[in-house]
Amino acid sequence: MSGSPFAEMLGALTRQRGVVASLVVDEHEGMIVDAILQFGQDGDRIAALAASLYRKARQSAHAAGLGGVHFLQMDAEQGRLCMAGRNALVLVVATSPNANVGLVRVEMLRAVEGLA
Amino acid sequence: MADDLRRWSDELAHDPASLAFLPLGEALRRQGQHEHALRVTLRGLERHPHLADAHDLLARICVDRGELERAFDEWDMTLRLAPEHAGALKGLAFVCYQQGRFPEAEAWLQRAAQGEAADAGIGAALETVRRSTGALHASDVAAAEAAYDPHDPRALFADSLDGDDQTAILLDPGGMVLGGLYLTESGRDVAPEIGAALSGVSDEASRATRHLGIGAWTSIVFETESAAVAMAPTVQDGLLVVAASRATPLGHLRRLLARCVARAAAWLGGTA
Amino acid sequence: MTTHAVESWIEGPLARFVDDARVSLALLLHPSGQVLAQHGFTRSVDVMSACALAAAINASASELGKMLDGRPFTGLHHAGEERQVFLAEARTPRGPYIFLTVFGSESSLGLVRMYFGELVTNLMSAAPAEAAPAAPALAENFERDLNRNLAALFGRA
Repeated sequence: MSGSPFAEMLGALTRQRGVVASLVVDEHEGMIVDAILQFGQDGDRIAALAASLYRKARQSAHAAGLGGVHFLQMDAEQGRLCMAGRNALVLVVATSPNANVGLVRVEMLRAVEGLA
Repeated sequence: MADDLRRWSDELAHDPASLAFLPLGEALRRQGQHEHALRVTLRGLERHPHLADAHDLLARICVDRGELERAFDEWDMTLRLAPEHAGALKGLAFVCYQQGRFPEAEAWLQRAAQGEAADAGIGAALETVRRSTGALHASDVAAAEAAYDPHDPRALFADSLDGDDQTAILLDPGGMVLGGLYLTESGRDVAPEIGAALSGVSDEASRATRHLGIGAWTSIVFETESAAVAMAPTVQDGLLVVAASRATPLGHLRRLLARCVARAAAWLGGTA
Repeated sequence: MTTHAVESWIEGPLARFVDDARVSLALLLHPSGQVLAQHGFTRSVDVMSACALAAAINASASELGKMLDGRPFTGLHHAGEERQVFLAEARTPRGPYIFLTVFGSESSLGLVRMYFGELVTNLMSAAPAEAAPAAPALAENFERDLNRNLAALFGRA
């Protein structure tokens, strides 16, 4: 586990059932700031794609007059990405389909307050 | 659309003085690429500072960016160049309306209604402004929805939704509205704008899932300052967007999404 | 905007990179500065300038890396206000090439790095097996080769 300011937050998220990766990502660069990854997870890939998706959703929501995006969840056939952003940083959690997304969401919304 | 964008970009690259920046800027604006649209339009204006339509386009981009004052100035400039420019007259009315300056909004719309390019939308807008002392109530929105003929594609999801604060639209692969509607508090259907803005999210989702190897995406839910939005792919590469108030529980939103996806599939199956 | 390559096996991987990463300009060149493929440029003189600059930057970065870190720097990124530049060495069966790309807000450094990795993999598998490694350019041939490549890219070969 890393010794960054985000280590505790990422550790708490990674302990949730079904979570395979948790990352703090720079929204504009799509690069990892800090991450805890299970073996075999490509953190750089998750960071780049999740940041791009979150940024697109944020821009689109703004264009549609819906205001800023607090939380985003994308479900796929074999996995799920959850994102919450603040101060140009995005908290990204990748889970398996069987994760308890309700718990993950609550934990992420709490954790995102600590992104600075 | 991608072909058009490429063609206009190429045209501009070959001839920077080309007027292709007008359709290109407008297309980018509709796709929600406001920064890109702004850059294209400003570059065009450097070459064509006296082109009314260019100032009109810049004003619309400013509105999308929430810069109402700047939009007002640009439409003001448009009118100096083309005194009867319908887009500028409606735009100025829109800015005044947004700022609560209803008598001024009405005056601009009246001027637009007298012009040669007057359309039915101006009459409806005038009516809205005249009875406005603020936003319409939710019951007005519901009444507007109910006013549509059940066979009208805009009423496609009327039976699938169960609250005044919910709305759904069905988009084709190009982001164009196939059915449903998205009413603002003032009763205006902004489904085309919402559809154009949100359809790009599904492209990003497809790219992400493809490169992460987690199968096809099945739904996206996001919570914004003013709404909870859910999206899902439909048959024939369509996209369904459901929006509800932030108070709507996400679990309930997902059920609405599933219901609307089924409705869309049945409708698309019937219309295919 | 189309992708052009002097050698056809490069065109597919580069076009895919441009499409995936949503970059505005892309350039693949030999370390000597000879262009091999490009996307987004409309004038041969711009390609020529970009190739010369990219080759010079790559040479400087390599030497700087050797001095500071004992090994050449193989990647460089510069973030401007609206556009960003990414330059990196792409190792292929034909030898090392230099890759330069320019991107805006539609992409990000993370995406460009990720797709650059895929581009290198795709170039590796697309390179003709029987092809000989690229020979270093000889001074007497350099200008002729450079002009020939530019002419091929811009349809005047």
